[in-house]
Amino acid sequence: MDPKEILDELKAILVARLKFDPCRAGDMALETPLPKGIEGSIGLDSLDFIELSIAIEERFGIVMDESQDLTAHFRSFETLCRFIARKAEAA
Amino acid sequence: MRPVAVTGLGVVSPFGTGVKAYWNGLSAGVCAIRPATLVDTEGFRCRIAAEVPDGIGGSPRRSRADRLALAAAREALEDAGLSRDERVEAALVVGAVGGGMLEAEAWYWERFRGRRPASRLAPGATLPFAHVEALGNALGLEGPRETLVTACSSGAASLALAADLIADGVVSAALAGGVDALTRVCFMGFNALKLLSAEPCRPFDRDRRGMSIGEGAAFVVLEDLERARARDVRIYAALAGHGMTTDAYHVTSPHPEGEGMVRAMKAALARGRIAPAAVGYANAHGTATPQNDRIEARAIREVFGAERLLISSTKSMIGHTMAAAGALEAVATVLTLVHEVVPPTAGLDTPDPDVAFDCVPRVAREAAVEYAISNSFGFGGQNVTLLFGRA
Repeated sequence: MDPKEILDELKAILVARLKFDPCRAGDMALETPLPKGIEGSIGLDSLDFIELSIAIEERFGIVMDESQDLTAHFRSFETLCRFIARKAEAA
Repeated sequence: MRPVAVTGLGVVSPFGTGVKAYWNGLSAGVCAIRPATLVDTEGFRCRIAAEVPDGIGGSPRRSRADRLALAAAREALEDAGLSRDERVEAALVVGAVGGGMLEAEAWYWERFRGRRPASRLAPGATLPFAHVEALGNALGLEGPRETLVTACSSGAASLALAADLIADGVVSAALAGGVDALTRVCFMGFNALKLLSAEPCRPFDRDRRGMSIGEGAAFVVLEDLERARARDVRIYAALAGHGMTTDAYHVTSPHPEGEGMVRAMKAALARGRIAPAAVGYANAHGTATPQNDRIEARAIREVFGAERLLISSTKSMIGHTMAAAGALEAVATVLTLVHEVVPPTAGLDTPDPDVAFDCVPRVAREAAVEYAISNSFGFGGQNVTLLFGRA
């Protein structure tokens, strides 16, 4: 899957599972940051990341290894899409 | 009160995922009770359980119980064909006891041994009310949410409450059911109470030695009958009545005369305005403990009199699935009406002379039944009877 396709899936997850306004989701781009507290980010907190992780694992059929530090992968849509693409390829 | 229809079924059982696998197993009289693998049974008298086979799906970040519930709930919703908007309005009622206890136990087990365990589980997922959160969010159910914890009758109580919500006009549809995964605390607790049989349980057998533990999940979509007809959807059965009573007698033993059981069955009949003679089949609580089976048979006799009623315990095949039991057995009862086949009591060789009924030993029986009941009795004397009628 290319990053654009994954981005669209992630937006669908944000709308369906994290109750984001579909219009707001439309404005999100690959470089948009995810964690709250970063300028221009969509403001996800730690609980949002857990919900998002569950949805990603179920949508893409991958497992994220919690014994590793995943922070860097969740920095922006771009890093997350790349991470998912790599995992999905290996799965 | 508005009549209530069953329009969707979903099951994850020790026979695997899906209603089809469940009914195939039950109607063939297959016993799914095997050596336990999810809990360490080293040193126990009982070392068997009815576990759900691999392949339930779902993120490993969810508890096993959440994954069982999700698979069953999804099947029921798809079966009923509820639209997105209809789902948003629907009530969600879940009977649960163990929650994510299996994973919590593993964490404490590691911790006790001085290790620093990592938990993959989402926060709160260990508690019984976590299931409504997981199901509601994943499946888009945004109406009233309830979690019922009435021990082994939780799954049946959830259908009863959901039927009330529809009958009273609060909602026009509900997803209701029960779920429990196998846990150490359940297995060890029943083992300590000396209620577990070393061999697969044999309900209503003279030589029964106790129960077998199982796991699973079952959900049904209940719906206002008129609306179901208007939607032109398949109606499996009517949930014609239910009764809920409490013994207020003892923490684990049922009342010796089955007084609360009798009242539950009578209440279900009264609510449905159905004569006892119209009922042709009882899916018994039938745990295969010496106390339950004798007292339950006596209570059924007091309500239904004659011996013509067919009785069976599907626990003989899938064990006692705890909070899922009432819901799994409700689905079995509905399928009995649909297929005109009564599932057997597997492993029944020598009928108990104290049980004056045909308990359908070993082999399923063809029988066109108009009305059937499903009994579920929980510790503390928490009794639920569901009454289903042919669509």
